[in-house]
Amino acid sequence: MDRRTFLKTAVGTGALAASGGLAMPALSQNAAAKTLRFVPQANLANFDPIWGTQYVVRNAAALVWDTLYGIDSKFQPQRQMVESETVSADGLVWTFKLRPGLKFHDGAPVTSKDVVQSLKRWQARDPMGLMIKAIEVELAPVDDMSWKWTLSKPYPKMLLAMGKNNAPCTFIMPERIAKTDPFTQITEYIGSGPMKFVRNEWVPGAKAVFEKFTDYVPRSEPADWLSGGKKILVDRIEWVIMPDPATASAALQNGEVDWWETPLSDLVPVLKANKNVKVDIGDPLGNVGAFRMNHLFPPFNNVKVRRAVMTALNQEDYMRSIVGDDDKLWKNMPSYFTPDTPLYTEEGGDILKKRNVAEAKKLLAESGYNGEPVVCVVAQDMAATKSMGDVTAELLKSIGMKVDFVATDWGTVGARRAQKTPPSQGGWSMFHTWHAGADCTNPAAYTAIRANGDKAWFGWPNIPAVETEVTNWFEAKDLAEEKAAIARLNKAAMEEVVYAPTGFYLGYQAWRSNVSGVTSGPLPFFWGVSKA
Amino acid sequence: MLAFIVRRIITTIPVMGFVALFVFSLLYIAPGDPAAVIAGDQASPADVEKIRASLGLDRPYLIRFGEWFYHVLQGDLGTSIFTSLPVTQLIAQRIEPTVSLMLLTLVFAVVVAVPMGVIAAWKAGTWIDRCVVGFAVFGFSVPVFVVGYMLAYVFALKLDWVPVQGYTPISQGIWPWFKNLILPSITLGFVYIALIARITRATMLEVLQQDYVRTASAKGVEQRNVLFVHALKNAAVPVITIIGIGVALLIGGAVVTESVFAIPGLGRLTLDAILRRDYPVIQGVVLIFSFVYVLVNLLVDLIYTLVDPRIRY
Repeated sequence: MDRRTFLKTAVGTGALAASGGLAMPALSQNAAAKTLRFVPQANLANFDPIWGTQYVVRNAAALVWDTLYGIDSKFQPQRQMVESETVSADGLVWTFKLRPGLKFHDGAPVTSKDVVQSLKRWQARDPMGLMIKAIEVELAPVDDMSWKWTLSKPYPKMLLAMGKNNAPCTFIMPERIAKTDPFTQITEYIGSGPMKFVRNEWVPGAKAVFEKFTDYVPRSEPADWLSGGKKILVDRIEWVIMPDPATASAALQNGEVDWWETPLSDLVPVLKANKNVKVDIGDPLGNVGAFRMNHLFPPFNNVKVRRAVMTALNQEDYMRSIVGDDDKLWKNMPSYFTPDTPLYTEEGGDILKKRNVAEAKKLLAESGYNGEPVVCVVAQDMAATKSMGDVTAELLKSIGMKVDFVATDWGTVGARRAQKTPPSQGGWSMFHTWHAGADCTNPAAYTAIRANGDKAWFGWPNIPAVETEVTNWFEAKDLAEEKAAIARLNKAAMEEVVYAPTGFYLGYQAWRSNVSGVTSGPLPFFWGVSKA
Repeated sequence: MLAFIVRRIITTIPVMGFVALFVFSLLYIAPGDPAAVIAGDQASPADVEKIRASLGLDRPYLIRFGEWFYHVLQGDLGTSIFTSLPVTQLIAQRIEPTVSLMLLTLVFAVVVAVPMGVIAAWKAGTWIDRCVVGFAVFGFSVPVFVVGYMLAYVFALKLDWVPVQGYTPISQGIWPWFKNLILPSITLGFVYIALIARITRATMLEVLQQDYVRTASAKGVEQRNVLFVHALKNAAVPVITIIGIGVALLIGGAVVTESVFAIPGLGRLTLDAILRRDYPVIQGVVLIFSFVYVLVNLLVDLIYTLVDPRIRY
């Protein structure tokens, strides 16, 4: 019996007993009535959403720092801190005005100087920010409440850049803090968001605490993802870090915590069986499984080898290895873009629609593959990468490739994948990862789809046709043009195999039944959540 | 005795220095890059390089070691790469739960294991002995996390006697502190009990064959006194040794136990730091653990002289 099976059995049995009414909350519910205890997906080890761009940092930052615009559930950027904006007829001069009455947690008013400095820090670390920087003439305050952004050429995605939920977001900080070098961590956590960070209660790796900011003035519109009125209905939110999923499951069932962001799929049936726990899809945009091949060295510098692997790939194998038997949690995805989003396309995706091992072997033979080992670096400390790595090893062997399977941890993968040396000299041939579906809805924050050689993400694909369509998308004037560009992009990326998508999968979230207002979204939204 | 203690303390200094050098070197050659973890999965290689440079990770090994060691000698263990907090502060935040867990485990294990070993030796060959030996084998064979999950299921989920997870500082009351720690202590104590019980049994079996024990029994000394006063005192040295060595087991076990029961202790701090390659934190914690281990060995040596007057330094 392995750890995973044991965990499922032991906790499962316990939960069934508990669901029969055996478990009582171990802590006083009255005392904790206005405190929401939340188990996040990972440890909040640092708290600078520009310096560190992990999702968990962004999620916490969304409580403390407000953004200029916020994306809604229709993927449209809506005004958030901004009251109004104007753009010149030639699209070169943007003028923005702040919403009145905004305050930072230290009582100081939010001014355009704070905004400008925050945008400058954000620009240095964000792909869209860097694009704007490249065409920027001036970014400067006009008065206390307004600022102007002058460009040398139009940038139609300006509002999306300032409202997107992909890290790093345009979180607005006081000017003195935003002056910190973007590659150095800030040490003051003062925002103008709906919650204040309680610095002296922060125990990295164990606990992070947020208190309601009573001077926050929510917008009047209903909350919708990162847009609208962010009304906080509890006094305090405690993030309890729990590295062990079985413990988190037991704590939720016992009433020791109220909301668990990412339950392990193995434990979901147990939670569903407990009448005190509710379970639903967490992020409707889910995740895109992926493995990347190194385009710089044999064997994957040969497109026929990359296509051979794609031809033999069966996404169902990958998805079942990650989510098990729950068919609601995964989808085939003959595409590079998130299913059920406006730009989704299967153009050129036939290669992923039906596995064909014979055809794959034929392609491999034509490629001249001479048996060099595929150095497959697999992180074992993440369930998804471990599962996908095992499937890939079998896939490669099934078409006659030699596999050098390097089982390691994510920290090592993170360092090794940056190596541009040949696989035999400390480099790599392939590694597994996944991308948040929210990042794969369009090319704006989709680093993994870029194919600009040395500047591209790990694997360094160099495919001009893909890059042309990325540019076309950025310059598109309407949805039809955007869709056309994305369809061509998808086709080019499939033909040359930028990377191998292994499927689309969703995850659950779980919360106590006395908690209401939990919604599905690309990050946990605490506004509108209350606790009885 | 005083001279011995001073000599022992002085000899720990080069040991600690060697440990420091060893740990630093090991981390230097180990694969992994904190900058890549900080930058996030979508970062460009150029961003990762800039972060490496800002953290000073691109500087030569000897310079980095020299600076670090110089600060350590001044009591400064450096700053965490991830949290930007002083390592001493992070350790201070986490030390109480771990020390509490280890002490409670130690007390629990000794109180249970020593009598078990003595009784097993006394009843050697009987079903009682076989039960103790069987338990010892079981204790060694079952992973800590399995014991942890089982206990949590029964006593937290099913009976609701204690919480599943967390830690309450002793300043908030003995009972809340104890309630949070009882399951982790039993979990961690499982292996430890098995180890001490086995050693106690083995050494007691040897001592019970000695002439003075037979003489004591023949003179009509009460059996309990024969076992726990005459025999156990003479069997104590190996048992004390194994208790001391077991501290290393406790340190290792604390990493798993603290994760299973979500206790914010040094074990979890270490594990998190290793996974993220937070070098200053790893180095600081390993130094602290090494120091504790050296101190425990010193303590064990001193206890030897108390239980066995023949031992003199």
